Amino acid sequence: MIIHESMLRKVDSVAQQSDQLVREPISYWQDAWRRLRRNPVAMASLVVLFLILCFALFGPMIRGADYITIAAKYKNTKPNGTFWFGTDSLGRDLFSRVAIGTRISVSVALVASFIQIVVGSVYGGVMAYFGGVVDEIMMRIIEVLNSIPSLIITILIMILLGNGMIPLLIALCIASWTGTARMIRGQVMQLRESEYVLAAQTLGASHARVIGKHLLPNTLGLLILNASTSIPAVIFDETVLSFLGIGIQPPKFSLGTLISLGQDMMSFYPYQLLFPAGILCLMVLAFNLFGEGLRDALDPKLRK
Amino acid sequence: MVRYLARRVSQMLLTLLIITTATFFLLSAIPGDPLTEKVAKLPPNIKAEMYKKYGYDRPIVERYFKLMKGIVTRGDFGESVVYPGQTMQSIIKDKLPVSARLGIQQAVVGVTLGLLLGIIAAVKRGSWADHLIVTLSMVLISTPTLVCALLVQKYFAGSYFPIIGWPKGEQLWFGGWKYTILPTLSGCLGYIASYSRLMKTSMLDSVNQDYILTARAKGLSERKIIFRHVLRNSFIPIVTILPLTIAFVITGSFFIERVYSIPGIGLYFIGAVTGRDVPIIMGETVLLTILYLAVIFFTDVLYTLVDPRIRIVGTNR
Repeated sequence: MIIHESMLRKVDSVAQQSDQLVREPISYWQDAWRRLRRNPVAMASLVVLFLILCFALFGPMIRGADYITIAAKYKNTKPNGTFWFGTDSLGRDLFSRVAIGTRISVSVALVASFIQIVVGSVYGGVMAYFGGVVDEIMMRIIEVLNSIPSLIITILIMILLGNGMIPLLIALCIASWTGTARMIRGQVMQLRESEYVLAAQTLGASHARVIGKHLLPNTLGLLILNASTSIPAVIFDETVLSFLGIGIQPPKFSLGTLISLGQDMMSFYPYQLLFPAGILCLMVLAFNLFGEGLRDALDPKLRK
Repeated sequence: MVRYLARRVSQMLLTLLIITTATFFLLSAIPGDPLTEKVAKLPPNIKAEMYKKYGYDRPIVERYFKLMKGIVTRGDFGESVVYPGQTMQSIIKDKLPVSARLGIQQAVVGVTLGLLLGIIAAVKRGSWADHLIVTLSMVLISTPTLVCALLVQKYFAGSYFPIIGWPKGEQLWFGGWKYTILPTLSGCLGYIASYSRLMKTSMLDSVNQDYILTARAKGLSERKIIFRHVLRNSFIPIVTILPLTIAFVITGSFFIERVYSIPGIGLYFIGAVTGRDVPIIMGETVLLTILYLAVIFFTDVLYTLVDPRIRIVGTNR
């Protein structure tokens, strides 16, 4: 085939610059945030979560009602102008009690998820980093822990340590960090083999730089997703334990304790069950929907 | 295959040994012993007699070996401290069938309905049925089973569905349905939600595979494609998630049993925990762990049978 001059054409100077960046490059996080902001369901859940957080923090102040002292004359008051959520069987303002209960449930969930993720990622990181025998032994420990139902582990730890906030946190963490550790192990092992880490190492990057620049940022998305699924799960677990009488016990109370108290009164005063249960469901629903939006935003591979 | 099975079984036995030992020492580490409360008001000689009867006067290591010998030779965990005469054998005989029936009913109803809804949502993608199922399952997933149970009990209980009671004797496995409907309903809602979501995702995954494209190109009818190709392949991830469900059925019924006062192992376990009944806590932990391990093992084997792409390799899984 002969190429005539007519088949060629000159490239003008504009097209020559086609490899130049026209727009500002945006980072992974900016991109994720942009995608998250466009998701109406996720943003609505964020608003709901924010409102629930405000309720948990400032609820008792809004009403300023007494939620500790027993007041026989207000016993089992139905919801009205003074007591927005009514009062419980001992005459204490349920609005403030639900707010405090939410506060405790959420703080337990946040702290437990945080500890679980830190422990899990350090453990998983060590497994992936050292490999070999260390990895093998640490994996066996995970397998042993995984072969007991997690509720049983939690209960056993609670028996040993007694009821209360700190034992509850420890028990919830011991039962739940193995999933995070496995996930981080897989991710770090995969990243360690990737070309850009090899390139960085070839260029003489130190271990600290590889970990700080490549491994950590690339697992951060996964960790955030992990937190978004673990927080509602911990809220569930805490509620169940408190309901069974093993978690947080009166005079301290969480949503689970309130639900348990509400169960005793539910045939005649159903609102005592419905308010704490409703807040619990709404909160978990918002967390789940937000988590789903977050997954779509953070994982570009899932984008349709 | 035989080597694989042998290795798995020996691993399970080792795990069981570790867990039994750990549970024993964990429970021994609790300040005071199970008898402290019981003997507080008794004269010293009877107190010593009681300690002798349950063997708590011996050093811990000796008790450990005696217990292990009892477990291995006779499956004997010792007598209940709180309810004299109750042993693990009597609990397995009286309580386990109750929990098993509840769990099986929940799992069967929940998984079947969930899968059906998931299939409908995937096949009629974008229709009102799909949106309804997706919304419903999201709401159900966010409602703790505990809350479901309480609400179902509150709003459905009545003359047709008694809230207290459980079929006994002749009707232990069949019959007495009116007692079991509400607990089953409360428990299965969560499974319906999670399985419909799972099934939908799994089906949409397999629809996008190349072999479906091939089947379409060959001119297969839509019905045949769905039944022959899509459905078959989308059941594989479902099989992997089943052990989690069974595991959940085992412990998930704890609070259903509590809410409906069903005399199963869950309710008894909670009672044992609050009463510090060490032999029973010990026995139930081991029992539930055995069930759990067996389920995981069974599913792993099933998985290799269902999916020919997975081969058993002699080394690491």
